[in-house]
Amino acid sequence: MLLLLLGGCKPPPEGRVALPGADLERGKLVMQQAGCAACHVIPGIAWPKGRLGPDLTGFARQGMIAGRVPNRPDVLTAFIRNAPAVAPGTTMPAMPLNPGEARDAAAYLLSLD
Amino acid sequence: MTRLPIFSRSTEQALAGWPPPVLDPAGPFASSITVLSWVLFAIGGVILGLVLAALWVALAGPERLRSRLGGTRVIWLAGIALPVVVLTALLIYGLTLTSMLRTPTQPSDIRVRVTGEMWWWRVAYLDQTGRVAMTDANEIHIPVGRTVTVELQSSDVIHSFWVPRLSGKIDMVPGRRNVLRMQADAPGVYAGQCAEYCGGAHALMGFMVVAHRPDDYARLMAGRRRPAPVAGGEAARGAQLFQSNGCGACHRVAGTAANGLAGPDLSHVGSRRTLGAGILPNNRGTMIGWIGDPQSLKPGNRMPAYSMLPGRDLTAIAAYLETLR
Amino acid sequence: MRSETGFDPALYDRFPTREERPAGEMKELERIWCAPKGWQLLTVVNNNYIGAFYVGAAFLFFLLAGVLALVMRVQLAWPLNGILPQETYNQFFTMHGTVMMFLFAVPAVEALGVLLLPQMLAARDLPFPRLSAYAFWAYLIGGLAFFASIFVGLAPDGGWFMYPPYTSTSFSPGINADFWLLGIGFIEISAIAGAIEIIVGVLRTRAPGMSLEKMPIFAWAMLVFAAMIIIGFPAVILGTLLLELERALNWPFFDPTRGGDPLLWQHLFWFFGHPEVYIIFLPAAGLVTMMASALAKTAVVGYRLIVLALVSTGFISFGVWAHHMFTTGMPTLTVGFFSAASMAVSVPAGIQVFSWIATLASGRPRMNTPTLFLVGGIVIFVMGGLTGVMVALVPFDYQAHDSYFIVAHLHYVLIGGMVFPLFAAFYNWTPMMSRRPLSEAMGKWVFWLMFAGMHLTFLPMHVTGLMGMPRRVYTYLPDRDWETTNLLSTIGAGILALGICLFLIDLARNFRFSADENAGNVYGGGTLEWLPTGLYSTRSIPVVRSRDPLWHDPALPEDVEQGRYFLPNSATGLRETIITSPIRAEPEYLQIMPGPSPWPVAAALFTAGFFLLLTVQAYWTGVVSGIIAILCLLRWLWDTDRPVREPQVDIGAGIMAPTYVTGPRSHGWWAMMVLLTVIGMIFLMACFSYLYLYGVHPRLWIAPPDAAWLIPILLAYGAGFGLAWLGRRLLRRDKTRLWTPGVLLMAGGGGSILAFAIDFLSWRGHGLSPDASGQGATVYAFLSLQGLLVAILFIMTCYMAARNSRGLINRPADNSYDLVYLFAAYTAAQGLVSALLTRLFPGSLL
Repeated sequence: MLLLLLGGCKPPPEGRVALPGADLERGKLVMQQAGCAACHVIPGIAWPKGRLGPDLTGFARQGMIAGRVPNRPDVLTAFIRNAPAVAPGTTMPAMPLNPGEARDAAAYLLSLD
Repeated sequence: MTRLPIFSRSTEQALAGWPPPVLDPAGPFASSITVLSWVLFAIGGVILGLVLAALWVALAGPERLRSRLGGTRVIWLAGIALPVVVLTALLIYGLTLTSMLRTPTQPSDIRVRVTGEMWWWRVAYLDQTGRVAMTDANEIHIPVGRTVTVELQSSDVIHSFWVPRLSGKIDMVPGRRNVLRMQADAPGVYAGQCAEYCGGAHALMGFMVVAHRPDDYARLMAGRRRPAPVAGGEAARGAQLFQSNGCGACHRVAGTAANGLAGPDLSHVGSRRTLGAGILPNNRGTMIGWIGDPQSLKPGNRMPAYSMLPGRDLTAIAAYLETLR
Repeated sequence: MRSETGFDPALYDRFPTREERPAGEMKELERIWCAPKGWQLLTVVNNNYIGAFYVGAAFLFFLLAGVLALVMRVQLAWPLNGILPQETYNQFFTMHGTVMMFLFAVPAVEALGVLLLPQMLAARDLPFPRLSAYAFWAYLIGGLAFFASIFVGLAPDGGWFMYPPYTSTSFSPGINADFWLLGIGFIEISAIAGAIEIIVGVLRTRAPGMSLEKMPIFAWAMLVFAAMIIIGFPAVILGTLLLELERALNWPFFDPTRGGDPLLWQHLFWFFGHPEVYIIFLPAAGLVTMMASALAKTAVVGYRLIVLALVSTGFISFGVWAHHMFTTGMPTLTVGFFSAASMAVSVPAGIQVFSWIATLASGRPRMNTPTLFLVGGIVIFVMGGLTGVMVALVPFDYQAHDSYFIVAHLHYVLIGGMVFPLFAAFYNWTPMMSRRPLSEAMGKWVFWLMFAGMHLTFLPMHVTGLMGMPRRVYTYLPDRDWETTNLLSTIGAGILALGICLFLIDLARNFRFSADENAGNVYGGGTLEWLPTGLYSTRSIPVVRSRDPLWHDPALPEDVEQGRYFLPNSATGLRETIITSPIRAEPEYLQIMPGPSPWPVAAALFTAGFFLLLTVQAYWTGVVSGIIAILCLLRWLWDTDRPVREPQVDIGAGIMAPTYVTGPRSHGWWAMMVLLTVIGMIFLMACFSYLYLYGVHPRLWIAPPDAAWLIPILLAYGAGFGLAWLGRRLLRRDKTRLWTPGVLLMAGGGGSILAFAIDFLSWRGHGLSPDASGQGATVYAFLSLQGLLVAILFIMTCYMAARNSRGLINRPADNSYDLVYLFAAYTAAQGLVSALLTRLFPGSLL
């Protein structure tokens, strides 16, 4: 029981930073402040845990974003800022983030494996 | 785990979780109870110590002490006389404090009417004659240093209004109107919570009391009386979507055709600190997530999911709602 | 010495008798009292068996509700845990509270009463063994069916106090809430039955010479317990009835939009609900007093003070109910009164605690397992009592109410006041009914695990509450600082559960039920339950000359076993016990007791069927089941009221006692009086509801039908009572033809039915509809109660007519006839009072 609890609190995995210079911690904070978790379960963010969008656990292992575009750091960064422009028709809305924030958020997502 | 930026307690306090809100009062109504609490804890501690000592003597103490403990005299002294004296004193203290806390509304009080709903709070600011001056939901703005009379009622089942740092709790009983007085002495955000089990999402029925400096408060209230600016751009499209999707059937937005009363008043939703009745920070993402699938965030609540709307439309509606400040 | 009944106390000096008892007496006793074997065990009625079954069943519900609590603790271990979804969690906490309070705590202490009282009083059995059996089976079958609702998601989810309007059909449309009302229905039946049994048992079946002064404290506690059930349970019986009427027929008792008031429920519920806590605590406190004395091998210190404390707790506890409602906005004066009463009730608790300490100090306690549980229980209870005084102070309650502070407080009180004493009692009294005592070594582990686990679970909850966590939440958000204390509580719950598991292992290894070859008096107790016993209880019934007879007279066990006291045999060849007078316990007559019978268990089965089928809305099958239940009940009664051939028998040392007694001295008359008190209390609560709703919403009330209607109602009820009275008089005359009394009784019943019909039709014709207002609802509630009474009266008169036709009515007086007569008199009186009240008040004001 205790192990489970500790598991829930562990920091995001270090090491492989897909985007050089991006700040994982800030990425998490950005996602928290933008409210991404209202639609997605995102490891490391305790609340909320919305289910409107897909669960992002293990996102780094995913080949495609939204099943349509390749899961590459640059594509992801663009997708986070303005999903409808990258993958027209997606239910994911554009988010009010600047390019730096989006980069950090993408880096955080790509650290989830 | 990371904290949500909702409450106004410092990080150190938050980490320690101490003092607990009941013992960390922010106004006179709560602090008088805090003093009483400490008196009670102290007396309780002393009496518990006495009983433990007596038990120890009875079981393992020296013979001389044991024989003094083993008669009816100890029952008369410790079981009757002591409680009678202590309880009488406490009773007088308690009753005096009760009547102080329950003094009737003063003309100088700010008046707010809060109605419990399953599972959110309808808020109405009243003027001195008791007429509704402005409506809102899930967030109560008050000036510091002024006593606020909160009229409590319910439109469905029994709820209970509780802001531990500002005062005790009073129930909201259908068919009755109860009154609670509270006051904050420092600006800040004070968490409130429904305390009476009201079914389904009772656990997630929170609210905020926001205390402002008097001039800030005056400015806020004056600003709210002006009609909301006409939205442009994406927000304008959002306003249209808001109407065409029937949001106005349940929600009211002052100065527009939306005048539904079943759900929270959204006239000032853009300035609210939280969504979903005190449970989510208010930002673009949570607004979209809430509209798209509120059931995954607060199971059982009465808001239907708008998951059929494309992301663009959700964004537009969220952008519109953000302009309602 | 003075005498209460004309019995000469000097006759006690004939005991112990000297002459040899004839051989074969023991064999005869054993044959008469032997329990049925195999499947026939279902028909058993002896208190040794029923008591043990009862304790076992109550403990089973303790385990079941405990498992629910464990799952809830895991759910709350950390924020947003997903083990229990919201709806399931709401059902879990409702079931945990309901099962613990209604299916564990009350039945458990009642069960201990059934098991221990006859032994402590040296009676052969409780006075109504078949009633005990019925109550037990109804409770077991009903309780299990009720509990099973959780497996199909139909369990109630309104909390154990079920506040409307949340529990009305508008907000709880499913049958979940009906399951709650059903579950409570069973416990109401078994609690009332048990209370009747215990009151008559304690007051009328004590061993000769055991005056009230010499009665064991447990018997005093059970007497107060039973009296409190008689006064308190009617409020919840009426409350559940009204709620079910509101749910089923839309009568607005609690609906404020139509002249009802949700607070009426709270008054009714807590008028029962707070005394309920003492109903649970007092018997356990009685056990603690007895064990403290027995384990320290010394007389109870402050016997009279303890009796005073028990009785005054009983009284005061009925003046504290509204302290559960401090936050509902009652007037300051009311709040002040209830605050004062709530604090006053802690004085008698203080008396008991310090008398336990004084008793322990004046004796030589050894640190064995029962003593550990005893002392641990005292510590926990005192801590719960201290927080209880805190929440009795209104301002503090404004903060603590409905928070985890209250959860902590109530668990300290109930676990310290009842659960730990119960475990102490398990260890202490197991040798009385098991071949082997429980293990001392393991017992210490059990104690320390439970004690530590209990504190680790509930001590942090005080802080959780002060941190603002409300009770009854299925989860909490991660930013409220509630994680640490909640996790500690969950770990503590695990440790507590571990202790209980260990206890179960101990039980499985060492508990071997046996009424006659038990381990015996291993702790050296001084009260009568430690005499050598069989299923017939003691071989002979001793004369009691002190509070601790076994210490006072070391030869007593031997003398009793050799038959040197009262009733060393079966005087009539049937099951029997001595009925004694209520104050001085002078022998009055010999009660002939019924033996094993399949009818009580059958009646219980069909009673359960009746309620269950109604709940799942199978109305016709339900009604059929109810009718079968009544037939079973009448069948079991059929052969109970039969005089034996010998009108007088020797009950020992040549003392003669009658075998058939009627009128106010008979135990049946006493039981009927207790039952009528219950019905009267239900009626009183209905009057309260009626006046209360008038006080809340007088505007909606209409003028009653013309007062002239009262004349035919009065005349018809007068006939109802008068004819029954006349029949009873005529029974005494030799010249009366045998059928006359029966016919008169039936005609009297007809009079009451007529009066009821007139009353009902006058309201109906007046145009008051039951769903129109609080007035409509309560007036028709009166009529429903009265309708129920006349229906029962009708069944009773038919039963008497049947007995009459078989020539089973005894002259010059007949017990069955007396009881029906009492019921007829009460029915007429209640009907009259309700007709007067609803017409004259507030009729003259409108």
